[in-house]
Amino acid sequence: MIRHTLACQVTTPGNDLRAICRAWGMALALVALLAIGAATHAAPRLLERAQAVALTPAGQPDGAPPRELRLPHAWDARWPGPGGLAVYRLVFEPQPSDGDLLGLLIERACSTLTVSLNGRLIFWGGQQVEPVSRQCQQPQLVSIPAALVLPQGNVLELRLRGYAPGEVGSATHAGGLSPLRIGPYQSLVAGFKQRTALAVRLPEIAGGTLVLMGGFMFVLGWFHRKQSYLAYFGALMIGWALILSQLWSTDLPWSNRHTELLLATLVGFVTMAAVQFLMRYAGWRMRWLDIGLPLQCGVMALSLVVAGESQLHPVASSWYLVLSLEVLAAALFYLNQVRPRQTKQLWLMGALLVLIALALLTELAVRHWLLDARIGQLAQLVPALLLIVLGMRLVQQYGRALLSAEKGRAELEVRIREATAQIERNFAQLAELKVEQVTARERKRIAADLHDDLGAKLLTIVHTSDSERISTLAREALEEMRLSVRGLTGKPVRLADALGDWRAEVVSRLAQSGVEADWHAPGEDDVPQTLSARAFVQTTRILREAVSNVIKHSGASHCSVRCSITGGDFQLVIQDNGEGIPAALDGHLDKGQGMASMKGRAKQLQGQCLVESGPGYGTVIRLTLPLDRHVMPG
Amino acid sequence: MNNILLLEDLPQIRAWLKNLVLLVFPGARITECSRVHDALAHVSSGLRFELALIDLGLPDGSGTDVVAALRDAQPEAQSVVVTIHDDDEHLFPALQAGAFGYILKEQSRELITEQLTRISQGEPPLSPSIARKVIKYFAAQNQPAATAMPEVSLTERESEVLLRVAKGFTLPEIGVQLGLSRHTIADYVKQIYRKLNVSSRAEAALEAQRLGLFRR
Repeated sequence: MIRHTLACQVTTPGNDLRAICRAWGMALALVALLAIGAATHAAPRLLERAQAVALTPAGQPDGAPPRELRLPHAWDARWPGPGGLAVYRLVFEPQPSDGDLLGLLIERACSTLTVSLNGRLIFWGGQQVEPVSRQCQQPQLVSIPAALVLPQGNVLELRLRGYAPGEVGSATHAGGLSPLRIGPYQSLVAGFKQRTALAVRLPEIAGGTLVLMGGFMFVLGWFHRKQSYLAYFGALMIGWALILSQLWSTDLPWSNRHTELLLATLVGFVTMAAVQFLMRYAGWRMRWLDIGLPLQCGVMALSLVVAGESQLHPVASSWYLVLSLEVLAAALFYLNQVRPRQTKQLWLMGALLVLIALALLTELAVRHWLLDARIGQLAQLVPALLLIVLGMRLVQQYGRALLSAEKGRAELEVRIREATAQIERNFAQLAELKVEQVTARERKRIAADLHDDLGAKLLTIVHTSDSERISTLAREALEEMRLSVRGLTGKPVRLADALGDWRAEVVSRLAQSGVEADWHAPGEDDVPQTLSARAFVQTTRILREAVSNVIKHSGASHCSVRCSITGGDFQLVIQDNGEGIPAALDGHLDKGQGMASMKGRAKQLQGQCLVESGPGYGTVIRLTLPLDRHVMPG
Repeated sequence: MNNILLLEDLPQIRAWLKNLVLLVFPGARITECSRVHDALAHVSSGLRFELALIDLGLPDGSGTDVVAALRDAQPEAQSVVVTIHDDDEHLFPALQAGAFGYILKEQSRELITEQLTRISQGEPPLSPSIARKVIKYFAAQNQPAATAMPEVSLTERESEVLLRVAKGFTLPEIGVQLGLSRHTIADYVKQIYRKLNVSSRAEAALEAQRLGLFRR
């Protein structure tokens, strides 16, 4: 499942850069849109002059004369003092073009306000007792039905609840009021919606995305300790989402001071996550950072608590400076580490980090000086966008690494299988070789024994017996013994070599006995086959038997031997011009035994031996042996 | 033919061989021994032999050593291996050691007589399987690792004779095919045997040198 998800998010580095540019373009377009939106409000009128009265914590005027001031107005440490309540009074005249419904657009009222028209409450923004609603970043649109508007001399009273600049971490949350716009409701609505979108909707969406992605990456990094940078990045995303939430979370169940403390601590946490992420992404893990950064968070929280309510801002600001420097240092370290490696990665990360640095700088500026709320909101949204882009890039890298790991594992498996097969083959070969060796050794031993004992005895008989017949028999027995040993221990014989051996023996024996010999066999290149030792030996015996018959019994003067290979069979034809085999001798022991033994041997080799004979016709012995049965090719 | 060495361990066979030899070479002095040890002693004793009949399978060693010793000490002597084994695995080493020919023990008296006579007339036997082994041997020797010794590589004629013997042609037939006399063919066979011996000894010496057995 994870694989599938990752596969969908695979992009190329080129695409990443384009994504960043797209993000920036969107942001700029948004700004332009808002500017245009602001510029089209020609009809609404601007109310800038007001009278302000500070209230005691109980809600009563403090007795000082009302101040004449010009909006936008920011509170300071002394006014409106403890309690943080003030009332602004403005006067406006209705215009005929206002229509049935007027609208009052208040861009910024920090933290929350109520609006009364001519003494009647017409708008309630949020809680004015602790926990106070935090609506500093959100514009308010009050609808004023025309029925409530007097023809002239309308007095608007805005009761504002806020905090002194020292009590909050950022100037954006310090008490103050922006200029008011009044005009037809319809003409104000569009601008209001746009501002709300930027101030509330987008941060909500971005925050949600960050939380989701951050959670996902945190889990990824948690389970993959080698890629712990993912976990830190996830923490960074979640931390930033929480910081972003200050834009849209207006009502929290705890007091403002707690919120401010939490926010400040969150910044410390986010710094820690960012620094650790950059370090680990660069491939470094420093023990002292692992211990020092959480410690720093704790110290920061402690210092903020100890600083007291009114000193929150300066302490928080100095801490923010320190933390920003830390992040900057970490970013530079990372870029320095990545520089020798890959340039694409370098450019990507460099661009991202520069953008985030700019955003952070803007953020810092916004904390100190009250700029247009929209700039501050952008300064917080842009890093969110960039974090999302960076997150996608990290996930893409992770996915790619996963794919290559899978591929590597598959390759490894294939290689292991091949190696195993190779080992098995080698082992089988070795085993075969071993068996061959042992068999050969055994056979040699048997052969040697046969030669030494049996052969010696037979030899003695050959040379010491008085009877010629016994000598001959013993001689033949010795030859047989030699052949048997050859069949037992011999290696396969090339058919060409066998033909050479047979020719030498047959021709010389026939020549010695005065028989004219005729030998025909295929040339050496035409017989690539091999005979097993046993087949060679048996065929030799058949041939010898046949030639012996020709010499001893046929009385022939001419004998021809023809060898041929036809259709996978080896054929041997021995023909003589002798007397032939008399029918009466067919049952004779010697002759019959010879014929029968020839036929028997041929059958053993899965071949056949045919004899044609007749008085005056001579004898033809036809031996056919299939070559593929007991042949080892090549 | 005055001095003949006879090495055979079976007493009956030895007696039979002695009779046979006396038939072929009447009046020759025959030195009999039944052990390699005794034979070597005789070889180095100073007595000049013209013919030696040597059995291969002996109780205290192989007759091949006696063949080699004889070749070293008395190169003019002809050693003939007399054996039961007809396979080239047993015969080839003896030939490499310098044997001039071989005789199979169980053959009939007439055959052996004829072979002995032929051998003494300078016509050593050559079977197809021996010829094949000689061809293979000299083919292996022609590899670049072998030292250049022109007198031990086969001439073209000799190679032709060997090939035909391997194919099974008899010496007279080869003579007819190449247009040479039987005697010339037999000379070629003698040369082949001699070169085989020389080459084998050179190879053995090289091997021994490589193993550090010779100290110069």
